[in-house]
Amino acid sequence: MIFHSLDFVLFFAAFTTLYWCLPHRAQNVLLFAGSYFFYGYVHPWFLILIASSTIVDYCAARGMERWPRRRLHFLWMSIVSNFGLLGFFKYFNFFAENVSHVLTAAGIPLGLPELRILLPVGISFYTFQAMSYTIDVYRGELHARRSLLDVAVFISFFPHLVAGPIQRASYLLPQVEHSRRFALDKARTGFALICWGFFKKLVVADNVGVIANRVFALADPSFPILWAGVFAFAIQIYADFSAYTDIARGTSRWLGFELTPNFEHPYLARSPSDFWRRWNISLSTWFRDYVYLPLGGSRTGGIAWARNVLVTFLLSGLWHGASWNYLLWGFYHGLLLVATRARSILRPAAEPPALPAAVVPLVAFARIAGMFVLTCIGWLLFRETQLSAIVRDFGLSPFAASALDRRTGLYLFLVALMYSLPLWMHSIAAESGARTEQPMRWPRLVLQGAACGLAFGAILVLRSRTSLDFIYFQF
Amino acid sequence: MHVPASSGRIHLIVLIVLTLTIPFGIRLADAWHTPELSVPSYLPAIEAPRAREPFDADPIADLTRLNPGYVVIGDSMAGTRIDVPRFTQLAGRTVAPILSAGSGSAYWYLVLKNYVVASGIRPRAIFIFFRDTNLTDVTWRLDNHISLDRVAHDREEELNAVVAERIAGRWYRFEDVLERAYGAAHARPWMEPEIGTFVGEAMVPGRRRRAQFLDELNARLGLEHLRAMEAADMQAAEDRDADFRKYIDRSALPLMVREASTHGLTLCFVRVQRRPVGGRPPYQSPALQRYVHDLRAYIEAHGAMLRDDTGDSDLTLEMYEDGDHIAAASRRRYTEIFVNRLAPLFQRAGTR
Repeated sequence: MIFHSLDFVLFFAAFTTLYWCLPHRAQNVLLFAGSYFFYGYVHPWFLILIASSTIVDYCAARGMERWPRRRLHFLWMSIVSNFGLLGFFKYFNFFAENVSHVLTAAGIPLGLPELRILLPVGISFYTFQAMSYTIDVYRGELHARRSLLDVAVFISFFPHLVAGPIQRASYLLPQVEHSRRFALDKARTGFALICWGFFKKLVVADNVGVIANRVFALADPSFPILWAGVFAFAIQIYADFSAYTDIARGTSRWLGFELTPNFEHPYLARSPSDFWRRWNISLSTWFRDYVYLPLGGSRTGGIAWARNVLVTFLLSGLWHGASWNYLLWGFYHGLLLVATRARSILRPAAEPPALPAAVVPLVAFARIAGMFVLTCIGWLLFRETQLSAIVRDFGLSPFAASALDRRTGLYLFLVALMYSLPLWMHSIAAESGARTEQPMRWPRLVLQGAACGLAFGAILVLRSRTSLDFIYFQF
Repeated sequence: MHVPASSGRIHLIVLIVLTLTIPFGIRLADAWHTPELSVPSYLPAIEAPRAREPFDADPIADLTRLNPGYVVIGDSMAGTRIDVPRFTQLAGRTVAPILSAGSGSAYWYLVLKNYVVASGIRPRAIFIFFRDTNLTDVTWRLDNHISLDRVAHDREEELNAVVAERIAGRWYRFEDVLERAYGAAHARPWMEPEIGTFVGEAMVPGRRRRAQFLDELNARLGLEHLRAMEAADMQAAEDRDADFRKYIDRSALPLMVREASTHGLTLCFVRVQRRPVGGRPPYQSPALQRYVHDLRAYIEAHGAMLRDDTGDSDLTLEMYEDGDHIAAASRRRYTEIFVNRLAPLFQRAGTR
């Protein structure tokens, strides 16, 4: 089931009403049933995968506590089964295709079979979440749960099941286990988040997505048209993914849960490391805690540190999809971080020079704009799936475009910019300090209500006629 | 932060009330906006009020006067296949073709209802030509306004309902109520393009120059500039449409068979063979084969007939011109094969 459907709206209304009529344990049973209904709504066979992943991780964690000497075996059992599922459904074709190419080049033509099977939606999200549970139990940071139901609810909790944010067991499991109460202030903020999320998805992401899709379908893009399309995609992917997070967080609040935020206005980042503190935070921290730090993190220093960063980002790229362009995207971001660090090592800043007050915002703007351009270069790698097209795109000259192409590029850019204005305004307002939690006063409440009303009105008249799936569903 | 329950409740109610009431401003904005001269569409599910071609009633009188034995409905698939004089000669009765190039199942349904049924004639059979999944895709070629306008009355509630359901899913009535309540259905068609219009006006002054620029822009991003879709993608896209059970209730086919059944008409649907490849009929994916099987079962269960040209060894590549069209020189031959294959139907009709 998808959020932006009336099926979901009606399901959620009925579900929430029933949910708050039940005692805690029954709520969890309903959450489990509702989550499985939500996930298996279109393809019931998906349930076999999530159920098997849940059972294996539950047994692995219990085994670790029961037989501590063999906990490594149980950890491997969890890792192999989770990565086995992920690898089979997500990476098998990529692996088979590349092995075939290599063998053919070596004079050994070998036709490896191609899997013609649907990638189960959200599999990357819930396998990572499930693994965080077993790894934390292995590390002794969490004790294994006796209740299979609680573990199943933790893994399948429907608001964030298919596109995150990925929650840690130590954060979400206690919320599953403890009784919850309906909090009116949480419901209010949740409602506002849901409105904002639907607006971002239906009005912003889907409208600029039409521009991006058309530009990236062109066989002969020119420089201005291509980069207008990249800009549109940058807006689309942020609006789309953060919309999912907002709706997930908003609906969770109506059920008495609190999910961690996944975005902190990433396009206002001033450096690569700042960007990764703001973008897909739940996945970034997952890789930090379960890949980067175990590799040695920044403690190793020098070349080893650079290797750790690059390996982490390559894996992060691969997590997004079985395609070379995602690996390139991950490598590119890893390289940006390494280059930034190398620059600070080679040219250690003493005291930052004192700038005149009038210049400070300009410098901040320049850094934000510079980082946004670097991010957009990354989005080109991310969106363009054919390596030959990537090479062609980077070879385009801004001076070779015709007058029509320049005007077309400008037009597409401005239309995408117009649709994205609410996002920029929201981010700038939030960064300017407006996001500090303050007691709800009437003027602020009216302002919030007006914003929600305008968002709903915009959905009614400005939503795209082309309804696109959430981008991160494919991961 | 602790919020007293009473104020928390009021805050939540105020927020929801504001969210639900502010969009009524759409009605105000719409009232101030002066739309161009237009009339409500017969397909309000997908169209705003617009200028339209008037309903063309002449074919009704023609049909009544001609009282044909057979009627052929379709697009260029029928037009490039049927040699009407030869068909008339072979069938021994007058044949009335009602064809429109670039038409789809919505048009075919309206022709059946508003022309054939309305004329009161009782032809021995009505042939409706189609390709693969066209019969159950009511949205296919809905943008061919000129053809559709001429066969549609001011209101086509049933067609609008299936179009809406196909596009918006099973909850379209709920959406419809919502959009009507806020006046969004009326305001959306002029509000939605405002952003593009605003940018266009800022960039290119002058209505004529702007229109020319937008035409050039659309051409620059047009089909001929797009990457060739990979064969696998095309197949996947086609297979998505080949889901009979999913789309049958959201198509014009049930309306057609019901009209025929109600008025005692014999319908014969003709699935044309697409252009052969390598001397053989085009590839039929498992999904498409299942679809055709289900389509046949449905049509026959509703008292109609299905003639499937696919796989007919006499329909060779040499007969084809461009794409799936039959060459003018082969039309006579096709018509003879067609009448021959449906001989039982013509014999049965002849005895009636």
